[in-house]
Amino acid sequence: MRSIVYYVREFLRPEWIRKFFSVKTAPLETPSYFKGYPTRTEKECTGCFTCMMICPAPGAIAVLRKKDEWEPEVYPGHCIRCGLCVEACPEGVLSSGRILDVTRRDRTAFASWYHLDVDDNLCMRCGNCCVSCPVNRQIDPQLAGTGTSASDEVIMRIEGGRVRILHMEKCTGCTTCETQCPNRAIRVARMVEGVQLGEAEA
Amino acid sequence: MSILQKIKNTVRSRSIHVSYVDVGSCNGCDIEVLACLAPRYDIEQYGIYVHNNPREADVLLVIGSVTPQWVDKLRDIWDKIPEPKVAVAIGNCPISGCVYARRGTLTSPPVEKYIPIAAQVPGCPPRPTEILNAILSVAPLIFKDYEEKQP
Ligand code: SF4
Ligand code: SF4
Ligand code: SF4
Ligand code: SF4
Repeated sequence: MRSIVYYVREFLRPEWIRKFFSVKTAPLETPSYFKGYPTRTEKECTGCFTCMMICPAPGAIAVLRKKDEWEPEVYPGHCIRCGLCVEACPEGVLSSGRILDVTRRDRTAFASWYHLDVDDNLCMRCGNCCVSCPVNRQIDPQLAGTGTSASDEVIMRIEGGRVRILHMEKCTGCTTCETQCPNRAIRVARMVEGVQLGEAEA
Repeated sequence: MSILQKIKNTVRSRSIHVSYVDVGSCNGCDIEVLACLAPRYDIEQYGIYVHNNPREADVLLVIGSVTPQWVDKLRDIWDKIPEPKVAVAIGNCPISGCVYARRGTLTSPPVEKYIPIAAQVPGCPPRPTEILNAILSVAPLIFKDYEEKQP
């Protein structure tokens, strides 16, 4: 009997009735350390486009020329808030959540380079790629129309009836060779690798 | 304002029925919508109920970047919802197509091409709090004094 009275009294408290019928909690706040849309810090953007190249979502980020400076702009509705651009930017122009703090603490960075690949089954040894490459032309102005070269410093040359790639690391990723190849035999790929810097480099 | 309208306003502010439809997404947003039902966010304490029956729905949550099979069916679902009604686009997919917005994919975003969208919640996926806030802020705009606003 006592317990029934207790229950009735408990449920008749105005405070209990008010709580029962009205909203109990406000929608939760998003903690500040959650990854949001990348925002700009006060650092200056150099217009290197690293952020655009690493972004996995189509149309999410664009580096625009505004008056005299470059400005990265992120588009909600396209951006998936992955934070890769924040991590990849060499200048620390973008910021989101605690990504910058964590990369600084763990001394992680992205290393990137270009990889050249020639499919020997498609290649017809025309030499267009070697001739059109602006880096090649700068290194060896005497580059022959067939793509052969006397210089060992060129990125690639026709050698022994096939394209031989000598200095992949000099490639700037302009993809001129790709567009000039009649057979889509040469492919330029941008490679990105997460690296951890040692004590000395950091 | 008539008494009837007042009663309708009160009831509608405490009883919003939600139906959601995935028209071709990765399922990430569906999971976030379901997370709204969980005790942590507890969507029902705001008087929002997920029914998934368009005939009793007030709010339609559209998820996904619209595959060809959904083009006519999405319109059917929208027509089945009784007035007053509102559609909310959840996630990047219905807004831009997100990662599916490239050559060779069978999607045709945005969803605005097929049904009128009142609010968009960008994100891939959006957080449950963002979904909740969107429903809570768009519902009163549409449902309050609905009959009086009619021409
Ligand atoms: S956060 Fe990710 S998706 Fe968004 S702009 Fe940066 S790289 Fe692109
Ligand atoms: S934001 Fe950073 S990565 Fe992007 S263009 Fe500017 S400096 Fe380069
Ligand atoms: S991408 Fe440009 S720099 Fe690299 S090999 Fe091709 S043409 Fe030369
Ligand atoms: S342009 Fe293409 S087909 Fe010609 S040599 Fe280079 S890779 Fe081979």
